[in-house]
Amino acid sequence: MQQLRNLGRRKLRTSLTILGITIGIWALVVFGSMANKINALVAGGSQFYEGKVTVSAKGAGMGFGSPVDISAGDRVASMGGVDVVVPGVSMLLADEASSMSMSMPQMIRGQVADADRGRETFPMSYASGRALTPADEGSNVAVLGSDIARQHDTKVGDTITLHGEPFQVVGILEPTLTAPDTTVVVPLEAAQRLYVKTLPPLVAAELDPATLATGFTVYPKPGTDPETIATEIRATAPDLEPVTAKDFNSQIGSATSILNSILVGIALISLAVGGLSVINTMAMSVAERTREIGIKRAIGGGRLRIVRELVTESALIGFLGGATGLVLGAVLVTVVNEAGRSSGTVLFQLTTGTALTAVGFSTVLGALAGLIPAMHAARLDPVAALRYE
Amino acid sequence: MTATALLEGRNLRKTYRLGRRTTVEALRGVDVRIDRGEMVAIMGPSGSGKSTLMHILGLLHSPDANHGPRPELSFGGQDMVNLGEGERTKIRAREMGFVFQDFNLVPTLTAIENVMLACDYAGIRGAPARALAAEALALVDLADRADHRPAELSGGEQQRVAIARALVNKPSLILADEPTGNLDSERSAEVLGLLRRFNQEHGQTFILVTHDPDVAAACDRVIRVRDGRIRDQSLSAVPQPLDLEAREAVA
Repeated sequence: MQQLRNLGRRKLRTSLTILGITIGIWALVVFGSMANKINALVAGGSQFYEGKVTVSAKGAGMGFGSPVDISAGDRVASMGGVDVVVPGVSMLLADEASSMSMSMPQMIRGQVADADRGRETFPMSYASGRALTPADEGSNVAVLGSDIARQHDTKVGDTITLHGEPFQVVGILEPTLTAPDTTVVVPLEAAQRLYVKTLPPLVAAELDPATLATGFTVYPKPGTDPETIATEIRATAPDLEPVTAKDFNSQIGSATSILNSILVGIALISLAVGGLSVINTMAMSVAERTREIGIKRAIGGGRLRIVRELVTESALIGFLGGATGLVLGAVLVTVVNEAGRSSGTVLFQLTTGTALTAVGFSTVLGALAGLIPAMHAARLDPVAALRYE
Repeated sequence: MTATALLEGRNLRKTYRLGRRTTVEALRGVDVRIDRGEMVAIMGPSGSGKSTLMHILGLLHSPDANHGPRPELSFGGQDMVNLGEGERTKIRAREMGFVFQDFNLVPTLTAIENVMLACDYAGIRGAPARALAAEALALVDLADRADHRPAELSGGEQQRVAIARALVNKPSLILADEPTGNLDSERSAEVLGLLRRFNQEHGQTFILVTHDPDVAAACDRVIRVRDGRIRDQSLSAVPQPLDLEAREAVA
């Protein structure tokens, strides 16, 4: 192919230009994969909060923290439009909060199995083992999220130690890309007991584990907007903090969209630089080949033909740069993900869409960058071009 | 002998603009007729307008139409003045062949690929193009150099490749701008003999721009251009060492 040979004419210059595109696409792939992962977490979270109101004790944030009396749930249940209220206890899995992490904190969550009376819509499927049942109340059994099972290298039938107590693993979840992956689900009674253990002894002595909850999951009656219930809880129960899917989206969603824009922005800036360097390279190529273009025009090469040859050449630069950037980006993403997997920190998610977009984008960018010098070349007067020194 | 005109031009003028105020009148109204099968030399000192005339006859430039008498140019009986750039490019590709003084070839392509480029522009591709190109290279005695790049060929060989490229589509007209300008006299004679052979064996029309009297001597007719006008269209094949001023004075 003639265009490949043309690329070989100035190997250093062509390589540097391809490298420019490579860096841009590499950044796009890596940052794009990071944005994908964040978006998947957020989308999962959004789905997780969908169709219900997640209520926690005030000041505790999203579903874990300080306790309230389980009777607070009855107050919520008496509100209009409320169908089912499920009390739950959530706490951090680790004894102390570990260092800052991009991923979800690992949690223990306890609630009575099937207490939602079939209202939960978030899909859970089991990689192995079984779900908890109401009959498990009173025994130390646990269902592990996929990340936790992998990190602890645990199978169904193994024993896992939670806050000093041994629990038998009865089920392991499929990955969901969101909170359940980093959650251990235990019976409510066990969670209440573990929770008290995490408190300072003086505080713990005052509490009856059996009346303890850190939050409630509230399912509205069909046709009732969860927002309505959230509004009523805000107005009448100052000790409770409701979170709906809408709240989640506005809190987390807006933060992540800013982060996404920054990540993609960095990648686009490096691509703009790469694109300019393609224009520069092609403009220099055209200048060097002015006489050659003059010959081609003189012996009957049409303008469109000249444009097509040069645009193909620059598209090839874009494609080669994009493909190299994709490969390097994919290598980095895979290596970092594998390294982070053991600690449960999977930072990137490289999708086929991102890969195809990256290479397609770089090819189109290359073609467009070549278009300006190519049009210039096609407009050259053949006679003047022949005389060009 | 009734010769038919291949090219006929009237009132051909061309003014080039150099910068904002300076203009150069390269051709100041020229009438010219080239018959089929002729081998014509266009001679003149540099700056005389001989190259401009060739560029207009070769459809690389259009004659000026915006001042003076309306220009006319026909090629094979067809009007050329009002054709668009795309049409003229097509005619150049299919019905004309070009040989230039130097840097004639595309450096990344082999000899045969350079020749095939002309086939490609004329709409012939693939195996037929390769066969035609091989044939054309054989005609200029370069069959064994087909896969060499221009850098691996001597100047004379490069010029012969260019001639093969000009001939490959069997055009009715071949225009050559100083085809022997960069060659020593031996190579020069070789290239000239080649052109003459095609002119005689295939009846193709040749227009050669030159300032070499030996080249002019090999042609049927010499058109002498000076100051943008045709001074003389000698039908004699004998080169005349001319003193144009003296001749003008006589006239």
